[in-house]
Amino acid sequence: MDPLQLVWLVPGLPLIGFLFQAFFGKAIVAKLGDAAGKKVLGFAAVLPVFAGFAITLILWANLPTNTETRAVVATLFDWLSINDIHPLKVPFEFLIDPLSIVMCMIVTGVGGLIHLYATGYMADDKDYPRFFTYFNLFIVFMLTLVLANNLVLMFVGWEGVGLCSYLLIGFWYKNVANAKAANKAFIVNRIGDWGFMLGIFLVFAVFNSVSFYPSGHNLDRSILMEAADRLTNNPGLPMVANPALWIPLLLFVGAMGKSAQGPLYLWLPDAMAGPTPVSALIHAATMVTAGVFMVCRLHIFFELSQIAMLVVACVGAFTAFFAATIAFGQFDIKRVLAYSTVSQLGYMFLACGVGAFGSGMFHVVTHSFFKALLFLGSGAVILAMSHEQDMRKYGNLSKYLPITYRTMFWGWLAIAGIPPLAGFWSKDEILSHTYASGFLHGQGMAVFLYSVGLITAVMTAGYMTRMMKMTFLQTDERWRKLPEPHHHELGPQHEPHEVGRAMTTPLIILALLSIVGGAALAIGPHLFETFTHPSIGLSLMKPTELPGGTEALLIGLSIAGAVIGLVLALRNYKTQPADQGLGVPVRGWRALAEKQWGYDGAMYRTFVTGGGNFATLVWRWIDAGIIDKVLVNGIAKLIETVGVLLRPFQSGFVRGYAFTMLIGVVAIIGWVFLKAVVR
Amino acid sequence: MVPLSGYLTLSAILFTIGVIGVIIKRNPIVVFMCIELMLNAVNLTFLAFARYHPAPLAHDLAGRTEVYLAGQMYVVFVMAVAAAEVAVGLGIIMAIFRLRKKVDVDDMNILRG
Amino acid sequence: MDITQMPILTILIFLPVAFAVILAVVPKSMLPAIRGLALAACILDFIACIPLYFQFDATRFQFQFVEHHAWMQNLGISYHLGIDGLSLFLVQLTCFLGILSVWFSYYVKDRVKEYMIFMLLLQAGMIGVFCALDLVLFYIFWEAMLIPMYFLIGIWGGDNRRYAAIKFFLYTFAGSIFMLLAVIGLYVSYQQVTGQASFDLVSMQKLAANGELIRDTGLQFWLFLAFAVAFAIKVPMFPFHTWLPDAHVEAPTAGSVILAGVLLKMGTYGFFRFCMPLFPDMAMRFVPIIIVMSVIAIIYGAIVAAVQTDVKKLVAYSSVSHLGFCTLGLFSLNAIGMTGAMLQQINHGLSTGALFLLVGMIYERRHTRMFSDFGGLKAKMPVYAAMFLIVMLSSVGLPSLNGFIGEFYVLLGTYQTAVRGLYGTSLWMIVVAAGGVVLAAVYLLWMFQKMFYGPVTNPKNEELKDIKMFEKVILAAIIVFIFWIGLYPGTFTDKMMVSVHALRLQVTESPHFRPVWDDPSQVVQPNGDMEMGGGEIKTAQSQPVDRE
Repeated sequence: MDPLQLVWLVPGLPLIGFLFQAFFGKAIVAKLGDAAGKKVLGFAAVLPVFAGFAITLILWANLPTNTETRAVVATLFDWLSINDIHPLKVPFEFLIDPLSIVMCMIVTGVGGLIHLYATGYMADDKDYPRFFTYFNLFIVFMLTLVLANNLVLMFVGWEGVGLCSYLLIGFWYKNVANAKAANKAFIVNRIGDWGFMLGIFLVFAVFNSVSFYPSGHNLDRSILMEAADRLTNNPGLPMVANPALWIPLLLFVGAMGKSAQGPLYLWLPDAMAGPTPVSALIHAATMVTAGVFMVCRLHIFFELSQIAMLVVACVGAFTAFFAATIAFGQFDIKRVLAYSTVSQLGYMFLACGVGAFGSGMFHVVTHSFFKALLFLGSGAVILAMSHEQDMRKYGNLSKYLPITYRTMFWGWLAIAGIPPLAGFWSKDEILSHTYASGFLHGQGMAVFLYSVGLITAVMTAGYMTRMMKMTFLQTDERWRKLPEPHHHELGPQHEPHEVGRAMTTPLIILALLSIVGGAALAIGPHLFETFTHPSIGLSLMKPTELPGGTEALLIGLSIAGAVIGLVLALRNYKTQPADQGLGVPVRGWRALAEKQWGYDGAMYRTFVTGGGNFATLVWRWIDAGIIDKVLVNGIAKLIETVGVLLRPFQSGFVRGYAFTMLIGVVAIIGWVFLKAVVR
Repeated sequence: MVPLSGYLTLSAILFTIGVIGVIIKRNPIVVFMCIELMLNAVNLTFLAFARYHPAPLAHDLAGRTEVYLAGQMYVVFVMAVAAAEVAVGLGIIMAIFRLRKKVDVDDMNILRG
Repeated sequence: MDITQMPILTILIFLPVAFAVILAVVPKSMLPAIRGLALAACILDFIACIPLYFQFDATRFQFQFVEHHAWMQNLGISYHLGIDGLSLFLVQLTCFLGILSVWFSYYVKDRVKEYMIFMLLLQAGMIGVFCALDLVLFYIFWEAMLIPMYFLIGIWGGDNRRYAAIKFFLYTFAGSIFMLLAVIGLYVSYQQVTGQASFDLVSMQKLAANGELIRDTGLQFWLFLAFAVAFAIKVPMFPFHTWLPDAHVEAPTAGSVILAGVLLKMGTYGFFRFCMPLFPDMAMRFVPIIIVMSVIAIIYGAIVAAVQTDVKKLVAYSSVSHLGFCTLGLFSLNAIGMTGAMLQQINHGLSTGALFLLVGMIYERRHTRMFSDFGGLKAKMPVYAAMFLIVMLSSVGLPSLNGFIGEFYVLLGTYQTAVRGLYGTSLWMIVVAAGGVVLAAVYLLWMFQKMFYGPVTNPKNEELKDIKMFEKVILAAIIVFIFWIGLYPGTFTDKMMVSVHALRLQVTESPHFRPVWDDPSQVVQPNGDMEMGGGEIKTAQSQPVDRE
């Protein structure tokens, strides 16, 4: 058997895990008792994910070495098939190429670690089986997304992960706020999906196909040229003047929704309502990067439209900067990380927008290491602090949570961009490619984007330092000043304890990856870049090479930026009064930043409140008013009115009727006589 | 021999009496009698015309001669219908009488719209 | 067993009638016997309709399982039954939902005998509508099925049942009058052209394909409009929809299931069985109008659904939105879109039927349907919540469930038409229609949140128990199909394909495409792509038709 056929097991094993949890989870807990049952279930949840990782390694090993043929399509069955003049054929097919293998490794590797962590984090939850049901289902859909060889199958995964995100954000369903956050996430994602779907339609209209690569085709330039040719020479679609522009723009709307970019970012911060492993897996490491993955997977479409590239780059740069400003105003530890995720995703799109798709993917990889680490660390902190997330009640936790602190320390430096940690390599690549993107957007625009990116890098170091300081480094233990708690909340007598082995092990592994993961892939023979060829590297663009001196200067600048951000924040945040405890009002621009510069509120008022009022108006006026009252009941009323008018004639007296008849008869006879006489 | 116009005049007088009776009388039995009067006035007309202007002889498909007695036929029909009507009508009047203990057409207007 | 030799369609129609007659003589007090007999009738009916799928020849667009008997010969009225790939699944859906709704009617405690008799007569009428190939026969079934539905709403309905029942009846009847006029118009026209009296649909379609049925464009316009109004009321399309929320809300649960699952499909069925093949020119001309109306229905139904306070009303308005997709796809005049419309009909029958069952289950326990009375039910009824979730997601159109396939085909197909600017369509219509998918998520997720999330706020809900076994089985039966269609729609679309192509060709390629219904040797290419050479089609029968 072809070892590449093992690819079906990669999502297949978690699917079995999902079914197992869904149908037997509760029964097993009931039968074996709480502790033993959860142990079995946790094992059953983690195992298929790591097995998927192992199979991914096998796939990697069996991938053809020839870089031109490193894309293999495996087809399971014909899923959608409509015969027509333009027949629709959507097989259930997977594409095994370097890009999908990279994503699979993240999903199964980092995902497996987070599963392991979650067995500890959720150990006390009575809905343990339900959690892992959703968690395993997420892995299934995410793998479908990354392995799909056509847009529709990708869309299945795309919406499927959205579903799991919805279910997991609302996991603690007794709190209505969680449910609302879940709804918000799903609906905002659906807006993106609306664009994505229209993009799929347009792709099909142009190409009469939705598959990325035809089975058995070599991945050489000819296939790219063919697509470009088809796209730019208008294929007889009178209603779309410029499909080469619209396809990437519509697809990018989908990416914006999933990856929380631009105007559609606003669901991600609220998504932190879910359990922390969910935030780490879905809202940091994997699902939210699906937008970047999709842009990279379809980079050929983007390359063909300079405008679309510019839109991607600008939206990415703007979001990176905008989210970074908001992060400064947050006090919820997970929200800081959420905005940092939005900001980092902006970075990835900036990379895509300047044509550095490889760097964007590279950042996806490193980001999944350190952001998963930071989220899991924050989860450990939250667990240690009785589920309190407000950093104003933290402080001096490095004393109580040594392992968490030491691992998060490396995550902090990695995201700040300190060499030689993971974040530095990918960020530096993105920045230098942005600077070199003059060939695409003009030198002025390139420098502008670069400076936005650099400023954001400084800010990233800044707000992460603020978070670390407020949580671990400041020596005053602020929760000691809290009033006595009512329930199991945080109170002054609380003693934080380090979390268990199941949770520290993933932290340590991820910390190691954050330390060496970037360097291992970036230096030397440019491992990542060569590996992802030809999925990403094969390109129609010819970027300009930067002279060596400039390159060195750029590296220096990005190191300097990181250090400046760290130092400034370390010095400045000693003296920020609002961060010192509760009850101190936030002033100035940070007050606005806390409220997301008013954007979220405005959106809420416009669409939720305003939309609701509009809908009520439509219902009351058009439906109940015009159609039902005026037209339907109006006709009934009209008939009734006529009846009322005719009523007096129905006196009920037989003699009256007889008399009326007589008059009629006389009139008729009279008329007949009259006619006879006149004649 | 009495001329046709004589029968017709008598018929018209009877009919008019009937009409006036129906309109002005309050006792339903009398109203019924007046209706009978009107019907018989019409019967008289039928018979008079049938006698003075008999239908022409006709031949059926087989060539046999047929005699039409259309006028007389109608009279039989009218008498049958009148009898049925009286039966139903009197039944209704009896029912009303049982219900109200008196019969006066001016009191019967439950079908008013 | 070769059922093509048996009058299988007659059996399907009159088996429930026979059981209704038996029920009529069973004493009122024997409740288990009454329920058992009714359920047995539906199960037998369903068993009888299963072989239809297997014996249906998917390579032929001609009507199959045809029964043709003279009835009122001097008027040209015949007893003519038959199904094609388009009505096959509607018949099966009717039988399937019949079982579930009669089974669920276990909760009906009042005048059970009459109720079951009406349910059985309703089923007979509905199957008859989908099988009738004679205009008069069709009209008789169409009206006959109104009566039991009227009584089901009017007797076993909610508080405002009389208003709802009369509104439902008059609305539909007003449409039927137009249809009757159009039927007579067609009859007269047919007689003028051929000199023969006939109400036979197949003969008329044959003539219409030649463009000879009605030569006068004005008359065509009015007859098409009369049919279209009758069917638009039934679907219901946008301005004619206000009977639906009332009827749905007031009807007993089983009535709502049948109403949503089957009755609404009669509207779309009418469109593709009568409006489109009989008036190809008009159908093409009306494409922009109907598409705009469908888009309005999609968006409008979703917007209004979002602010309902009654669960059932929300589901009712969602039907308006979902049926908008059906008419949209149907008039995309594109095989993908039309297949989507056919599939969407089934999907809507399953998902919305299941939603009404779900609402009925909670109503039987709490005797309320107001959102404000619920909240936090997930803690009390986990299995119910999970099944509700799946059905809700199917209605949202989540990929890998059935709703997505239908909506995707419809939107893709319409997009194909619109992007090429065919038949006067334009792209913004489809862009807006796709927005309906977003709105569907808005109101359905809101519904789910209101019912299931949050703490249990109403003390009356504290005592709630999870659903019973037979309810689980009913829902599971639907959920199986929800996944089946979502994961492998080919089972269903393959049987429809050729019929869809024939329908499309009848409209768009008229008068080049001349289907010869009574000759099985005429074939439509499976890819729907007619081989045309010099205006001639290389189908076996084009020559003889030309000579006529």
